[in-house]
Amino acid sequence: MWHDPAVEFLNFVLIFTAGWLVLRRPERERLAFGLLVTSSLLMAALFLIGARGSILPGLNY
Amino acid sequence: MASRNTIYTPLTLAVLGLVVGPIGIAVFVLGFGLGDSPCVLCWAQRTGMVLIALTGLFVLRFGPRPRYIGLAVLLAGFGLYMGLRHSSLHLWRDVGQGFSAEILGAHTYTWSMFIYWASVVMMGVLLLMLKDGEAAREARRLRPLERLTLWLFLAAAAGNAVQAFASTGPPPYMGQGDPVRFSFNPANWVWSLEEWTPSPVSLRGRWAIEKPDVALATIDPSASPLANVPVLPAARRAALSLPLDGPITDLAYDATSDRFLVTTEKGIYITDGSFGRVLRHTVVDTGFSVDLARFAAGAFLAGDTVMAVSENKSFVILRENDAADAAANYRYFLASFDRFDEVSRSRLTTVRAKMMYVMSAAFDPATESVYTVTVPNARMKRLVVSRFDRRDMTLSEEFTPALAPGSGLAFKSEKGSLDSFYVSGAAFAGGKLYVVSAAFGTLLTIDPQARTVVAAHAIPGLERPVGLAIKGSEAFIVDAAGGLTIVPLAP
Repeated sequence: MWHDPAVEFLNFVLIFTAGWLVLRRPERERLAFGLLVTSSLLMAALFLIGARGSILPGLNY
Repeated sequence: MASRNTIYTPLTLAVLGLVVGPIGIAVFVLGFGLGDSPCVLCWAQRTGMVLIALTGLFVLRFGPRPRYIGLAVLLAGFGLYMGLRHSSLHLWRDVGQGFSAEILGAHTYTWSMFIYWASVVMMGVLLLMLKDGEAAREARRLRPLERLTLWLFLAAAAGNAVQAFASTGPPPYMGQGDPVRFSFNPANWVWSLEEWTPSPVSLRGRWAIEKPDVALATIDPSASPLANVPVLPAARRAALSLPLDGPITDLAYDATSDRFLVTTEKGIYITDGSFGRVLRHTVVDTGFSVDLARFAAGAFLAGDTVMAVSENKSFVILRENDAADAAANYRYFLASFDRFDEVSRSRLTTVRAKMMYVMSAAFDPATESVYTVTVPNARMKRLVVSRFDRRDMTLSEEFTPALAPGSGLAFKSEKGSLDSFYVSGAAFAGGKLYVVSAAFGTLLTIDPQARTVVAAHAIPGLERPVGLAIKGSEAFIVDAAGGLTIVPLAP
């Protein structure tokens, strides 16, 4: 059973927060970059969850 | 070398183009304006673009630190994969067909491949312009255009968050495979957990089809889905003793010249009418040009023209020529270069039979038609007869035959079907398509006009046949080792 609460909405909240830190709080670069990496991993996970029925492109190899 | 300012201006414009272009258009025009709603895969593709833009903003603010470059390359690489993986669901469909919105003649998911590719190119250009050791230690002071770009980015991210909340919901809801039209009215919001449902993970999905092999067929006649199949005893049996380059894969007969065609995985052999000797042969370079894989079937198209069909429905047509140019034919053949000319080599395209291999082919000279019949696999169990017009080798008809009324044939159960028959040989005679099944050792007679099976006969002792030819009133059935079973055709 899946319990990971990862969703697109949450991901854009993370992205917005990271962008806000870059603009208004540049001294928090480490936190902003951490959010960027987290969001990237979340994005990849969400795609792979949606594509798990055929991880490779469904083409005639 | 370029100065740092030279780098930041094109980077700013690139990020601005990404934010205002695909990201902004996707959410504000397509989403809020036209009601387009991304599917779960589209969301990830769009998010990846937003993240690349954000990485560019990190560079604008903090300089081109290696970890930013590394992450941007990873994001673009994964984005290219996402674009290909998602587009693969639709690329093979007919012209104009796709999923959801179309922009400038191409659907959105295919555009993402171009955008990620352009991102990679842009990164390469910027890296070429970069001086050694230019990573900044302190945060840069943003110029007005850079500040505007960041504000626009935040607006686009906020817009996406709003659309994502309405379309996919708060945690743990997530995007859907087939989302509904976007609306600001909460009454129209659909929040789904469908993508969280546990399901098998596959590498190639439905395209993972095992190669055909008669050894996979159930030979026990009592396991046949047909009830009370009459028995057709062999009139005689023989063993072929021919100098072939490998196991036999099919058989065909030409009445006008009284000759048999025998195929192997790569070889084409023409024998006399009693299998006494090989009159001519060649071994085809199956890996050259169109991949012919393994020949699984053969047929005479005319007295001097033969066709070999591979299990993957690719084919080659050869014409006999005693004066063939051996030097010119080097590219086509691996042996006996001066006995045939290659007329054509191409592929048969099917619709219903698309995800299944074939092990049989037959030619009807009356209608100038080539027939193939599918073999079932673990994912697709269906007996599909495909007919191709000889003149252009294009699919002209496909059907799944039913049992003919009045034939006396019946299934053992209401759910019975012909789908488990493993057709490994076919021949055309007297307006009927005869096929032999490695499963259940059965000879089926198909009326292609009525699209029905009009007769079925179990042949005792028939084990894993690979080919069928009809000579006169007899069916010649062969196995891979050359074992020949000859049965009289039922009246």
